[in-house]
Amino acid sequence: MLRVSNVSKVFESSRGTYITLDGVSLTISDGEFLCLLGPSGCGKSTLLNILAGFEPVTAGTVMSGDVPVTGAGRERVMFFQDAGSALLPWLTVEENVRFGLRVRKVPKADWQPIIDKYLQMTGLDTHRTKFPSELSGGMRQRLQIARALAVEPEVLLMDEPFGALDAMTRRHMHSILLDIWQRTGKTIVFVTHDIAEAISLGDRIGVMSFGPRSVITKLIDIELPRPRDLANPKVALLYNEIEALLAPDLARVAEHS
Amino acid sequence: MVEIHETATAVAKPTGSADTRLRSRWSAVSGLSHGSLAVASLVLAFLIWQFLSTVVFNPFLIPPPLEVIRTAIPMLMSGEILGDVAISMTRVAVGFVTGSLVGIITGVLLGRIRVLHDLLDPIIELLRYLSPTAMIPIAVIWFGIGELSKYFLIFWGTFFIVVINTTAGVWRAPIARQRAAQCLGANQLQIFLLVVIPSAIPYIVTGMRVAMASSFMSIIPAEILAADSGIGYLLQKSSMLLQTNRIFVALLTICILGFIVDRIFRFFVDRVLARYMSYISQT
Repeated sequence: MLRVSNVSKVFESSRGTYITLDGVSLTISDGEFLCLLGPSGCGKSTLLNILAGFEPVTAGTVMSGDVPVTGAGRERVMFFQDAGSALLPWLTVEENVRFGLRVRKVPKADWQPIIDKYLQMTGLDTHRTKFPSELSGGMRQRLQIARALAVEPEVLLMDEPFGALDAMTRRHMHSILLDIWQRTGKTIVFVTHDIAEAISLGDRIGVMSFGPRSVITKLIDIELPRPRDLANPKVALLYNEIEALLAPDLARVAEHS
Repeated sequence: MVEIHETATAVAKPTGSADTRLRSRWSAVSGLSHGSLAVASLVLAFLIWQFLSTVVFNPFLIPPPLEVIRTAIPMLMSGEILGDVAISMTRVAVGFVTGSLVGIITGVLLGRIRVLHDLLDPIIELLRYLSPTAMIPIAVIWFGIGELSKYFLIFWGTFFIVVINTTAGVWRAPIARQRAAQCLGANQLQIFLLVVIPSAIPYIVTGMRVAMASSFMSIIPAEILAADSGIGYLLQKSSMLLQTNRIFVALLTICILGFIVDRIFRFFVDRVLARYMSYISQT
């Protein structure tokens, strides 16, 4: 379980002080799929970086289970939109997965079965000797997933992971991710600015306001069965509701840009 | 710093697809392969040179190619030119290798340790404008006209180029890559050795290639002004004796040597470092 209590984050720079998050509280239970939704600049990535332990909080606390989050932890793995940066381009698909096992000191004898299992799960087992530069964008993201799952974390933190993919590949990635989530029971925190993406994936959506002083304005439980088709009137209703909720913020974004 | 790096990358980057397409269209038109065009280019240059030096200009000032070859053969046979080549190449090798090593180590530290960077960067930014040529007079006073002054001058030229590129490479190792490794469980030392340094390799290699070219350019003035052996000395001596044909032999030798050394360097990079040379990953 991840518990965020009254967290604030202030960035100090030469241009002045910027209050990104102002008293955010959130509890994420084990095995939950939570989407953080908000316009660009609402601090959702900052919140995710705080959960990952990359950024210290200015005020408040973040607990992972009973342990305060003060840095990157073994149970939480972050996932990046730019897979090309996040992967090690000089290692093959298989070697990228092995890298995680090596630095985590998994016994050598276990490596091969683990690698095989997750490459199969992500459909990369026929591409094991390729380098990341030879993979498509979707395949690179799947490799990131395989590499993360191989070290058996409890929580996947995903920062707009499919934002750079085309619509078709993106939908394919959604079904792969949901499938893996259902099979492994990981907790997933998924940051996105796409309402449809949040609805089709999440158990719950945390809607965030535009910064500065972002907060979570509303937590929406989604009880609808998956797959959630936008043609379904209930899904469409939810979409419109969220859109209306974000409308004032989106207007402000437009003003600022 | 950025500017140097940018030109450097441009040199090492593979040609773009548009470029290749253009070239293939052109060779399709002429019906010649890339290799035969290269041969044609050299033959053409040879003919024009022969024509200009015999018909247009004074053959004493520009010795015709056949005359240059006639001069070169005995110089090759007697081992005279090979001796000079060996001496110059040894100087380049010693200066280049030591300069690269010290440059890489310093650059890695500067790229990683902020305080050290802030402390040393202003000095480097000023000193790098002192080309090896500018340092010849003081090098002679410090180290004499023996080998040590040449080692020093090549080292000087190599060090600054490699250090600047290495620092930039370490600096630009993607944050996402370091954080991803950290999440997987890598400690700071592992991140540094297994992620940051390999990420910097394309920058380091580029720096070394530029430094290699610069070494070739600076060994000659160093030998002209302060040596009693080497290709530069051969140039200087031939100039004093007005032996233009021998000057041309020396100049040709420099061209061929530079070309060969760069090919060897590229071959080594392709063979050993190819997997580290992907630029795609850094976009």
